Amino acid sequence: MIIRWVSEDGKRKWIYPIKRDIYTKGKIVKQVSKKAKVIGITKVNIPSPMHPIIPYYVLLLEDEHSNRIPKKTMREYKIGEDYEISLATTDGAVIITKIKYDVYEYLKESIELLHNYGISPEDKILIKPSIIEPAYQYQSVTTNPELLDALITYLKEKGIKDIVVAEQAMLGNDTMASAKKAGILDVCKKHEISFIDLAKSEYIEKTYDNFNFRIAREILERKVINLPVMKTNSQIVISGAMENMLRIVDEETQKKMFKNDIEKTLPKLIKVVPEFLSIGDATIGLQAQGPTLLGEPAFLNMLFLSKDPVALDAVFTEASMLKKPHYLKIADVLGVGNCDTEKIEVIGDELEAIKCPLKAAENNASAHTNMKLIDGKANPYIFNIALKMTAKLVGLLGEEVNLVIGSFITKEMLQKKSRLVAYGKDAIEQMEKLGVKAIAEIPEEMGDIEKVILLKSILQNPNKENITVADNLKSKIIGLGMKVRKKF
Amino acid sequence: MHYIKGVGMTRFGVHVKTTQELCYDAIMEALDDADMPLSEIDEIIIAKGDSANDGERQRLFQGVMSSILQDENIPIIRVTAACSGGGAALWNIINSQAKNSLVVGVDKLTSAPTKYVTDNLMMASERIYEQAEGLSFPVQNALIAQQYMIMSGATIKDFALVALKNHENAFDNPKARFYKKKITLEMIKKSPVVASPLRLFDCSISVDGAAAAIISKDKTDIEIAGSSLYVDRLPAFESEDMTSWQGTILAVKSAYNQAGITPKDVDFVELHDAFTPVELMAYEDLGFAKKGGGKKLIRNGITKINGTLPVNASGGLKAKGHPVSATGVSQIYEIVKQMRGQAEKRQLDKTRVGLVHNVGGVGSTVTVHILRHIGG
Amino acid sequence: MVYIKGTGMSKFDVSQDWSYERIYDCVNEALDSGNVSLEDIDAVFISSSEAESNGERQKHTAPMISSMLKKKIPMLTVPAGCCGGGAALWDAVSFQKVNNARNVLVIGFEKLVANISEKATDEMLRGGERIYEQAEGLIFPAQNALVAQQYMMKYDATSDDLALVALKNHENAFDNPKARFYKKKITLEMIKKSPVVASPLRLFDCSIPCNGAAAAIISKDKTDIEIAGSALSTSKLSSFERENITSWNSTINAAKTAYEQAGITAKNIDIAEVHDAFTPVELISYEDLGFCCKGEGARLIREGTVNINGAFPTNTSGGLKAKGHPISATGVSQIYELVLQLRNQAGKRQVDNIEYALAHNIGGAGCVTTVHILRKSQ
Repeated sequence: MIIRWVSEDGKRKWIYPIKRDIYTKGKIVKQVSKKAKVIGITKVNIPSPMHPIIPYYVLLLEDEHSNRIPKKTMREYKIGEDYEISLATTDGAVIITKIKYDVYEYLKESIELLHNYGISPEDKILIKPSIIEPAYQYQSVTTNPELLDALITYLKEKGIKDIVVAEQAMLGNDTMASAKKAGILDVCKKHEISFIDLAKSEYIEKTYDNFNFRIAREILERKVINLPVMKTNSQIVISGAMENMLRIVDEETQKKMFKNDIEKTLPKLIKVVPEFLSIGDATIGLQAQGPTLLGEPAFLNMLFLSKDPVALDAVFTEASMLKKPHYLKIADVLGVGNCDTEKIEVIGDELEAIKCPLKAAENNASAHTNMKLIDGKANPYIFNIALKMTAKLVGLLGEEVNLVIGSFITKEMLQKKSRLVAYGKDAIEQMEKLGVKAIAEIPEEMGDIEKVILLKSILQNPNKENITVADNLKSKIIGLGMKVRKKF
Repeated sequence: MHYIKGVGMTRFGVHVKTTQELCYDAIMEALDDADMPLSEIDEIIIAKGDSANDGERQRLFQGVMSSILQDENIPIIRVTAACSGGGAALWNIINSQAKNSLVVGVDKLTSAPTKYVTDNLMMASERIYEQAEGLSFPVQNALIAQQYMIMSGATIKDFALVALKNHENAFDNPKARFYKKKITLEMIKKSPVVASPLRLFDCSISVDGAAAAIISKDKTDIEIAGSSLYVDRLPAFESEDMTSWQGTILAVKSAYNQAGITPKDVDFVELHDAFTPVELMAYEDLGFAKKGGGKKLIRNGITKINGTLPVNASGGLKAKGHPVSATGVSQIYEIVKQMRGQAEKRQLDKTRVGLVHNVGGVGSTVTVHILRHIGG
Repeated sequence: MVYIKGTGMSKFDVSQDWSYERIYDCVNEALDSGNVSLEDIDAVFISSSEAESNGERQKHTAPMISSMLKKKIPMLTVPAGCCGGGAALWDAVSFQKVNNARNVLVIGFEKLVANISEKATDEMLRGGERIYEQAEGLIFPAQNALVAQQYMMKYDATSDDLALVALKNHENAFDNPKARFYKKKITLEMIKKSPVVASPLRLFDCSIPCNGAAAAIISKDKTDIEIAGSALSTSKLSSFERENITSWNSTINAAKTAYEQAGITAKNIDIAEVHDAFTPVELISYEDLGFCCKGEGARLIREGTVNINGAFPTNTSGGLKAKGHPISATGVSQIYELVLQLRNQAGKRQVDNIEYALAHNIGGAGCVTTVHILRKSQ
């Protein structure tokens, strides 16, 4: 698709979206064309950091208005050939789009390429963005409000009147505060749409394979459009279309899912939810230590769309040159979707053409340089609080501390690691089972300030071998004192 | 009216010295050539790119220059204009109020791994339309070369002749990267394809180097008869005609007007051959050939060193080397050496009027300078 | 003679608009405020640090502006770190005088906040000397912290004085709709309790990185505001290399040249936008610009002389501290504020009876400085 922004008299054509003509102060007309001819092609043999896979081709396309655009492809077109993006022919197709400044136009084009995806004015839509913690838009931890705005605009143009936006923050975070900082509430306000906090919903139970899921009522009653941010994830390789659906269930269910191995239970959850469309937000995207604020923006400027969330995640993982997550394979076997990229129909940009390595998340990094996380797929509540504890101690030097969380801890993970601190019931139990001694056990029920003070004392005292009753008492007292003086 | 007092240049190649040390060498040579002390300089303009990955990571380069020249009295500024940095700095000096000024162009491209250099050069193109679609610098020029071939009937053999000519010239240029290196037509034609139709030997080579020139309002034997700079669109595909660069046409017209001459009056040229097809396109845009007629000049040997209009007697960017911002000033170096009869084996006979053409990006920033030897 | 026709400025914030959008809007504002049409612009001088980590990766800024404004005219990019705006203006003024161009547009823009804060810190770190400073962890706050410490050891100045500077600038920014801290109440308590970044500098002693753009149109046509002095001076890169760490020669020399051009002394200046990248720099600059004697900088802030209702207001816009500091845009945004003041359009921040205004812009830790003096035309 080639777009130009043209002055009213047609004399000036911009490649950038502008709102008014700086010469005449007049209006701007959008000139959109979906068909183009190939007027040039070059085969490139030199790699670059953004384009590591060679050889690739770059086409020079020209449309009927003589507007041109370059396009990367893996196919050897001939000069004079037509260039057109074909519609998807299968339900499980994945649409890959590179956004050229205008989010709305490229979102619209992508949705219209889908096979068999219809929406009508009577539909009741629920948009589920990804808002796990309070973060600014540019930090790319939450769904880009520009994309949400474009989607709502598109739906309204299709005549849809009943739209809501619903989400629940990562366990331990405040949903409304997160939605506000991310700019999502402003978009909702602009369109006069309500924002629903799923943590406060009514839940309906659904069972699959003897596992009970308590799912928010709205999810089951409305047509869902899943709007995840494409990020790396230190536990399961990526947070994509499937991971975003985790937060449609209540806190208990989430904890239970992680206790029983999230990679096995997540596919089961998708199995009992009615079909939904996923629009993967890679307008910026997050790499390195995702999925929280420890990660780095990746500046991808892309969208991934599919009715098959497994296929979407599989395509994204391969495009980012990350290893294939285990949960995708399980989902495929369960019949939730297709994870074999050879068999997935990819429409728009080619998978090979967009391959660019993203930095993977290591599964042991925390916010503090001296504290490592030994993460046995801890549930989001424990994970969140553990990271927060380490963040509070940034700026203090200390001896290495290994914070153990989650139930899937193995002996190998603990080998050669000293100064182990177990946090949370699951980790405490698992370490007992393995017969490995921790120098401290921090239970979930302990007060927040107390936890941090205890951890601080361990960090700063290299000779501390174990925690005594006296230590516990001391941290309780100091914590109380700090609360009184409101120092924290 | 501005005149050129002296010029200096380091060897273009792989250097271990830091950028400021390269500048220091070029400046010393220029001051010697001009027989002038540093204290008489009123303003210094440096052209230099900057990158997080070049190992030096020196952003406020004017401060570094102040340190190495041990001077806090001369105002120093830096300009950037991708590959046309040198020409832009020169244009800027001519348009400033200083009496005696020093122009320095410097860049180091070999201190970082190739992929970082490719990436850095790629950042001179448009982010969403070009960088996201794999248009690194050679790829941009490859697409333009292809359009040019379709329009003019020029072939890759013509491109190879351009490379051959420039290599033959550089063979005798002690400052050039390919000094005393014999390159044959065979080697050029057999070099690997970088981005079709451009082969390795169609692309100028990234090297390190610095060049300096001292400009003055005091009269000398070489006057700067014309100086112009024009900026055009960022991506090449935005132009109606991709095979002709508006920037060059506007800049050269203004320069000819200022100097009161036409293309016929030009005796020799140093033009911007970042890629061989660009040299052929420049023949046309600068007025030396009709549209599509560039290939005739190279095929008939007109632009060879013994032809009627020698182009790139120094070896050009292709064979002398292309340390991005230093190039523009090194072109001035060649013109001055030729005019003063100091070009040794490369010496041309007719050197009264010389034209210098320096381009940034794909015809995005173009500078044209016309120098005239007025005797003395 | 060089005059100012119009100025424009985008809001200084962390919005993720593309740079071209911000530039387009502030150039529009400058053209409107100066009643100039784009057809009448003869040249453009641009300043941008060409940051790499902001996702835009644009290193050839002049053609981008050519594509945006649809003009094929001379354009040049003059980066100079935090002094970029001032340097571009200085170069433009010089160009206009020599070339007799009718209208010259000056644009400063920056998108610094678009990635994790370490990347922004790294971009700024590259303004320091590679081997002596960057390798020794001397990030920008640390460089200035050492200077502040030397200053406080030598003269009668304390951290409390620094806090007063920050307070003054925040109070001014409260009424500046374009400022980062517009309508955000900051108290002395908050300033003094903010975490230490590089001792003795606290978070609130450091200016805040932002995204923003500002534009100005200078002309040979007579208008109500004349640029009476325009000077640029360079100094050695590292502050430790210079003779005097607590006094910056580049500021002293640039101010001297500018005063000479305008035919005045420091006493004639009625209002100033001073480069407060870090609060101690504002105090040092008062001395270097000649507003008080060496070592007396703290006195001016303690006595309230430089407050908005004082005898000699400085940084009525909020300064870099509270207005925001999008590196290359800052210098031009200072001109924006002074033009508003001279034209009686500064609203709640208006200072009365102004004839001479001074804009002071520093790059690095005193590496390159520009001083511009504006005055109401005779």
